[in-house]
Amino acid sequence: MTALAARALAPASAGRLLRLEIRRNAMVWALPLLAVLFVYDPYRTASGYPPVWDVRASVILNHMLFDFGAFAGGLAAWAGSRDGRRQTRDLLAATARPAWARQAAALAGTLFWVLLGFLAAVAVLYIQTARQVTWGGPPLWPVAVGAVALITICAIGFTAGALVPGRFTAPLVAVGVVVLDLVGFREALGPSSAYALLSPSAGALPDDTGLFYPVAPDVAIAQVMFMGGITAAVLGILALSPALRWPGTLRWPGTLRWPGTWRLPAGATGPWLPAVAITVVAAGLAAAGTAAGLAGTARPVVSGWEFPAPVGTPKPVVSGWEIPALHNAASDRPLAYPPDCTGTSFQVCVHPAFSFFRDDVAAALDPVAAEVAGLPGAPLSAEEAAARGKGALLGGVITGIPPVYEFNGERAGSLIGAFQGTTASASSATWRALFQQAFLDALVAGPAHAGSPGPASPAQQAVVTALLTAVGSQVPQSHQAAGGGPPGEPSPAQIAAAANRFAALPSAARHAWLAAHLPALRAGQVTLAQLP
Amino acid sequence: MTAAGWQDPPAAPVLAAWPVPAGVRLVWLHLLSRRVPAAAVALVGCGAVLRAALQWHWTFSSGPYAQRIPLIIEAGAAAAAVVTSHSPFGEAERATGRWLPWLRLGTALALTGLAIGALQLGVTGAGLNEGIMVLARNVIGMTGIGLLCSLVTGGLLAWILPLAYMAFAQYALLEAWRSPWTWPARPPADRGAWLCACVVFAVGLAAFTISGARNSLADNA
Repeated sequence: MTALAARALAPASAGRLLRLEIRRNAMVWALPLLAVLFVYDPYRTASGYPPVWDVRASVILNHMLFDFGAFAGGLAAWAGSRDGRRQTRDLLAATARPAWARQAAALAGTLFWVLLGFLAAVAVLYIQTARQVTWGGPPLWPVAVGAVALITICAIGFTAGALVPGRFTAPLVAVGVVVLDLVGFREALGPSSAYALLSPSAGALPDDTGLFYPVAPDVAIAQVMFMGGITAAVLGILALSPALRWPGTLRWPGTLRWPGTWRLPAGATGPWLPAVAITVVAAGLAAAGTAAGLAGTARPVVSGWEFPAPVGTPKPVVSGWEIPALHNAASDRPLAYPPDCTGTSFQVCVHPAFSFFRDDVAAALDPVAAEVAGLPGAPLSAEEAAARGKGALLGGVITGIPPVYEFNGERAGSLIGAFQGTTASASSATWRALFQQAFLDALVAGPAHAGSPGPASPAQQAVVTALLTAVGSQVPQSHQAAGGGPPGEPSPAQIAAAANRFAALPSAARHAWLAAHLPALRAGQVTLAQLP
Repeated sequence: MTAAGWQDPPAAPVLAAWPVPAGVRLVWLHLLSRRVPAAAVALVGCGAVLRAALQWHWTFSSGPYAQRIPLIIEAGAAAAAVVTSHSPFGEAERATGRWLPWLRLGTALALTGLAIGALQLGVTGAGLNEGIMVLARNVIGMTGIGLLCSLVTGGLLAWILPLAYMAFAQYALLEAWRSPWTWPARPPADRGAWLCACVVFAVGLAAFTISGARNSLADNA
């Protein structure tokens, strides 16, 4: 066979080698196990989330990566340690293929099954989501980040297996991967520094993520760059490793032996390999370092404030992160959508993605809207809006002329209950009462309360409680009498007594008093004793 | 033929010169062949990682999330213990005498105890959520799962099922499942959870003692 003919056959033989590796790879036997884990963990978890694309897609990085990562890392280490484990390096050193080509084929075989399983699971998740959502399209960045993360995990595991082909390598790599994943998740929930953003795990997303504004891909780009850089560096180290290209082993304990030579087996590789590998390592480290530097410049996007129950220091709700160097101003432009409205005298509009709970919102707001109709500043309609950038309470605000009550479907925190955007939670009496309370708080406590987060005055609390009682809702716990209050302030019992007194008034008298005194009440100039 | 390539025969191992009982030597050789010293180092490492997780607050201090990282490390300890079930000698070893099942039994029991001890040592004074009882129960149960797995996959891949169970139990933890078979999610004194974990361990230990891990001479490590 001439050299030309041999070169022409090279791709075919490489393909044959890859097919062999795919067929013999151990990862294929883990796929049924992963399928069971997928159904029990990411699939069921996603089913409990509201049918919003970005929210459901968050399980890819928060749940699916955990399950797949453990087996991808462990079985990649298993594949990488094969030659060392079977002590066939001496034998294979005499074959025509260089070590890096053989190892690349084995790694590709593992990656094939890992990515196939991962993408199949994503497809199942997205098909299920597509059947339920009423607006938007599937986000692709979580899939890209997840795929790159799995490639990185496989590369690290494989290299660890190739360098230390012991029996403990595979399980320890698998455990190390999931520990790192959870540490990253812990950081993602409450980042102690912007560098925590490099972890592919994401914190709990607001329920309206991606509905009013596009999700900026800044952090995803930095993550892909970081993990891609690590992958390149690890693969460069794999190619450089003398243990792969010299018939020696690194085993521990007992026989720690390192060949200590960088000489290539004659004819197996070209002299270009070390240079290319070193370049790849350097480029990978540079990319990872650049990504870390970019992540260090990230700044949080504060979407609103929430109160710990019953009162306390408001804390910002971070709905995302921006990296100035990667940020596209187009991500800040609101998305256009046709609102889904209902009602005539008091119209309630929601985002089409939340059409499924439009009627629940209307059922909650209609009684209280009727109770306060005609009062100065009382809203004539309600509209779902993003709290992003407003710095307002998540409970909602009354804005514009004519007044419109703006609420949002984001994570509502303790202010309006554990609303999760699902029909089950929206239909509960507690959620309804808390949603009504948020509406009345916005009206009675006024813009001062919404603009600068803080507890309502005792008189405002009593009026809200009385109006809730008047419409037949259960009074929220934060407005119920619960022992003594702070010194000098009316106690919860006194507030409750005033609320009962006000609620006992005839509806017309209550309405007339509110019509006359609502501006003063909203300004905090009415005391508890002044309530009729 | 010349004497140029001639070398002296290798010296006999020093251990052979010691006046040690044959039984002790047999046990020591068995432990060495299973890489038990390395497993002990790995278990101590697991204890150190658990200590670091608690010391530097990698994990949550309370709630269902608090058990997640300890559970992973407990699964790692169980995995390190069960991969020692692999024998590098294959079928030939089974014909060597009647002591092999007892050696298997003793090794598995000793490593399970060592795993619990190493992890307990790691958390001493650090305030592990749910305490030593849940830690011990998790290690016992997952070691049993690993020993059962070794009968099918062989010792070197016996870590797969304990890790799969750990991943499954993570979901059970977050969802607060009440089934005793999801023992990591149950309170320390839950009798059903203890029963399930101990039954799995007992069945796995008995099966492993009698038949040993599935063996393949191709995988020597």
